[in-house]
Amino acid sequence: MSSVDTYGFINAKMRARLGKMREEAVTEALLRAPTLVDAIAALRPTRYVALTRSYDQSGDIQAIELVLLKMEIALYREIAQYLDGAEGRFIAELLGKIEIDNLKNSIRLWYSSIIHRRPIRHRSEYIFKEVILHPVDWTALINALSWDGVVQATENTPYRSILLQHTEDSLREDGLFQLESRLDRIWYEEIRKATSLLKKLDRQKALELLDQEIDLKNLLILVRYGWYHRLEQEELLSLLLPWGEVFESKEVHHYIETPKENRSARDLLSHFLPAEHRIGDSSAVEEVLRIEELLAQNQKKAYQRLLAGDPFTIGIALAYFFLNKEEFNRIKAILNGKYYGFDEGYIRGVIG
Amino acid sequence: MNLFTKPMRLLTAVVLQQRSDQVVKALLQLGVLDFIHISRLEADQLAKLSSKPSTTNRVVLEDLRGRVEALLKQGHLSLPGESTLDVSLLEEPQVEAYRAVLDDLTQTLLALKEKQKVANQALLGVEEMRRYFTESKWEYLDLRIGSVKEGKSEQLTEKLSPYGAFVEPIDEEFVTVLSLRRDIAQVDPLLDKFGWTEESDPLLQKQAVVLVRSRLETEHKRLIDKRGEIEQSVKRAIVERKEELFAIWSNLRLNELSDQIKSYFSYTRNTALFSGWVPVDQAENVRNAIVEASGGQCVVEWTEATEVPRESVPVAVTSPKALEPFQKIVNNYSTPEYGTVNPTIFVMIAYLAMFGLMFGDVGQGLVLLLVGMFGSRSYRLNPEKKEGLLTRNVTNLLVYLGLSSMLFGALFGSYFGLPLLPPLWFNFEAAVEGHAPATALVHDVYGILGITIKFGIAVIYTGLVLNWVNLFRKKSYVTMLLDKNGVVGGVLFGTGIYMAFGFVGSGYHSFPSDPWIIPTLVICLVLLFAKPYVQHVVDLKHNRASKTFGQVAAGSIMEFLVDVLEIFTGYLSNTLSFMRVAGLGIAHASLMGTFKYLQSMVGGVGGVLIFIAGNLLVIVLEGLSSGIQSLRLNYYEFFSRYFTGRGIAYRPVGLKRSSSDNR
Repeated sequence: MSSVDTYGFINAKMRARLGKMREEAVTEALLRAPTLVDAIAALRPTRYVALTRSYDQSGDIQAIELVLLKMEIALYREIAQYLDGAEGRFIAELLGKIEIDNLKNSIRLWYSSIIHRRPIRHRSEYIFKEVILHPVDWTALINALSWDGVVQATENTPYRSILLQHTEDSLREDGLFQLESRLDRIWYEEIRKATSLLKKLDRQKALELLDQEIDLKNLLILVRYGWYHRLEQEELLSLLLPWGEVFESKEVHHYIETPKENRSARDLLSHFLPAEHRIGDSSAVEEVLRIEELLAQNQKKAYQRLLAGDPFTIGIALAYFFLNKEEFNRIKAILNGKYYGFDEGYIRGVIG
Repeated sequence: MNLFTKPMRLLTAVVLQQRSDQVVKALLQLGVLDFIHISRLEADQLAKLSSKPSTTNRVVLEDLRGRVEALLKQGHLSLPGESTLDVSLLEEPQVEAYRAVLDDLTQTLLALKEKQKVANQALLGVEEMRRYFTESKWEYLDLRIGSVKEGKSEQLTEKLSPYGAFVEPIDEEFVTVLSLRRDIAQVDPLLDKFGWTEESDPLLQKQAVVLVRSRLETEHKRLIDKRGEIEQSVKRAIVERKEELFAIWSNLRLNELSDQIKSYFSYTRNTALFSGWVPVDQAENVRNAIVEASGGQCVVEWTEATEVPRESVPVAVTSPKALEPFQKIVNNYSTPEYGTVNPTIFVMIAYLAMFGLMFGDVGQGLVLLLVGMFGSRSYRLNPEKKEGLLTRNVTNLLVYLGLSSMLFGALFGSYFGLPLLPPLWFNFEAAVEGHAPATALVHDVYGILGITIKFGIAVIYTGLVLNWVNLFRKKSYVTMLLDKNGVVGGVLFGTGIYMAFGFVGSGYHSFPSDPWIIPTLVICLVLLFAKPYVQHVVDLKHNRASKTFGQVAAGSIMEFLVDVLEIFTGYLSNTLSFMRVAGLGIAHASLMGTFKYLQSMVGGVGGVLIFIAGNLLVIVLEGLSSGIQSLRLNYYEFFSRYFTGRGIAYRPVGLKRSSSDNR
């Protein structure tokens, strides 16, 4: 089957939808809405009408977020069904990322309930509880009385082995950070494995994007934990995702080996960011946020370049998912901003 | 209905500034003036004019109106339409007052929504417990029976409420507590504080299960009702202020339109000057309205459309309401040039004939007719109904398509694929299946193909004739005579047709050798070649030549070659394209034949079901493809002959199409 046969249909379909996305200009309409009520009304004539129905019924922004998550999952499944074989399986594997985020949220709730002894009541109902990719028993996980119960709920999934590396005591002592980092890492391992089944061009495109994402994540880890939080060398190294240009670069190894007090984010980033985007070297929160924003913009540009390139590769599907995810995140951010009464200018500043 | 686009006239009027507001109201009320900016005046005159900054910011008005519409939608109220707009009520917009009303209502709604959120979260908590209870997932629940020795059970209820636990008295001594097992570490110490003493009586346990189940159900229903009540309160809060919102909306919209009209006005020290296109039949009304509104202190001048470049005149076409579906087909393509033929009636005839030839069946046509009639009625009875797959226009079109299909069905003698009555023309299905009698007018597929090709020739010639009429009206005589779509093109096409039919008539052995053929072809080709030169001479005579003779000569050879290529390939492919009409008709008959065969094989009820399903499938699939193919033939084969689509649409500023949804 040629790449045109494989991607011709979904390319046309996704481009038509992207055109509609641009035409609807949902984000702009939401931003301009003076209140939450107006923002919800702005969603009514768009593809997000299900969100408005949820809000009409519940008055609850978190209920809207759950609807958005369901929409996102449905999006992956729909595209996966249009593709056969390795391409379809690869797209389905992408759902693993959503599953891991859902798993992290569920474990955070469990942690809040059992370790911190805080009631989680209705919050547990905002967790997506159907099968996403692997048979995680979400209800059992949230209701587990001990860490063993949580591990039990992830039986027959790749996550069990990660969860087994932790105990209730270690989590109580160290928090969830290490566990979450390991869960993130396992997704990259799984998805990289899934790329091996793809055709050469698709594999190259997918790995190129994944490595770029990994590079961005690693840079963020290096800046946030190596420079801002000043973690020790070994601890910092264990957080990094072991792939991509950044991880393998001499500059990064030099940065890690430098005594934590002397590390310079500016020197590090100067190797990876264009000259016009140089940053200051004060460990301010704003600076870290600015770097995050800069890296996110670079990532967005990469996906937009994909859309302008060869239309008959897996890249078009990846760009489509990325742009949708981005819009979903913006909608969540804006609706929350409106809920808390922030003005348009402030919200614009936050969402970039 | 106009056979040609409506004649237009350009108005230029001067009124006293002090009367300009009344004039704006009068023009808004009439809603027939398609304004243009005053730019045709001489530069020194233009310099004396000034635009007046608007007293209102139209963006602010639009934003406020958007907010009103958002609130109305939140209250599930229909947006006000043009019927609510009354120009006599137009007044200065009280922007701050409107904003205050909207802010006030929004705050009320937000407060209600906050309550709804709390109710919803309480409901989610109960739903979780109820689900575990219903699904017997006891491992997640903790149900206990005991007595409270210290304090009261009401106090215990209050303390346990953050965990969503239920405390239900069983009798005067014992109470039952239902909580989630995951909260046990927090619930246990609280129970201890109240001197909880566990009781293990199995009878009490049974009672407790019944009580708790009942309580969960009651609580669940109460919270659903509460949440629903709040939703209703939100609607009520908006409905209660409906009149106020409608009034604000109307005034905002009127001000927007009024501001839009004023933006076309130019001012001197004492006068206001404006200009715009009006259909000739409305000119007198507009003049009277301006005179009346300005108290006679005005000057109105008219410029005929013939005095300005044709391409700058807006085009208004009118068709009877009954022809609206076909008018929309034309509008969907483009706007005809000013002064040319209004293609609607021709599109209607061609479209229906094509559809009928492809989908001729009395029974299936009747189904389309009924669907169309019921659909149209449903939209008529419920004007606010959201358009689905069968839009208003499609349902109206289906009525015509159904009638066309029924007419051709009677001609072909097909009734749900069955030959219930003898055909009035020929039996299409018999011709397709090869068992038509030799005496039949058409007895095989070649006959059907021949009919559609002849039909195509008729359509193309109609297009050519319409083109000649358009060119004649535009006084483009050279193009009318010498262009590939002019008389020369028509003669070449006719000669080609004669030769093709002669070739077929000879059993595909030889072309006809009539003595007039070669001279006709040669003369036509020479005339085609001469066209740019003749055009150049005419342009020189009228002082509008933009090219030198050398440029014309250089371009003429290439133009000639392209034209010849287009005539020979374009006309051939356009004509053969009509074979798709036969193709679709043959597919239709074949599918019906297949379903009838399947029906006879199965027999009984199964056979009837196959017959019904087959008909449904054919109606949906064949109906859709016939509709699309007819559209395609109209757009490409028919329109390409005469419809340039270079017109600009007439868009008067008035009270119509006022809500955001319609714009």
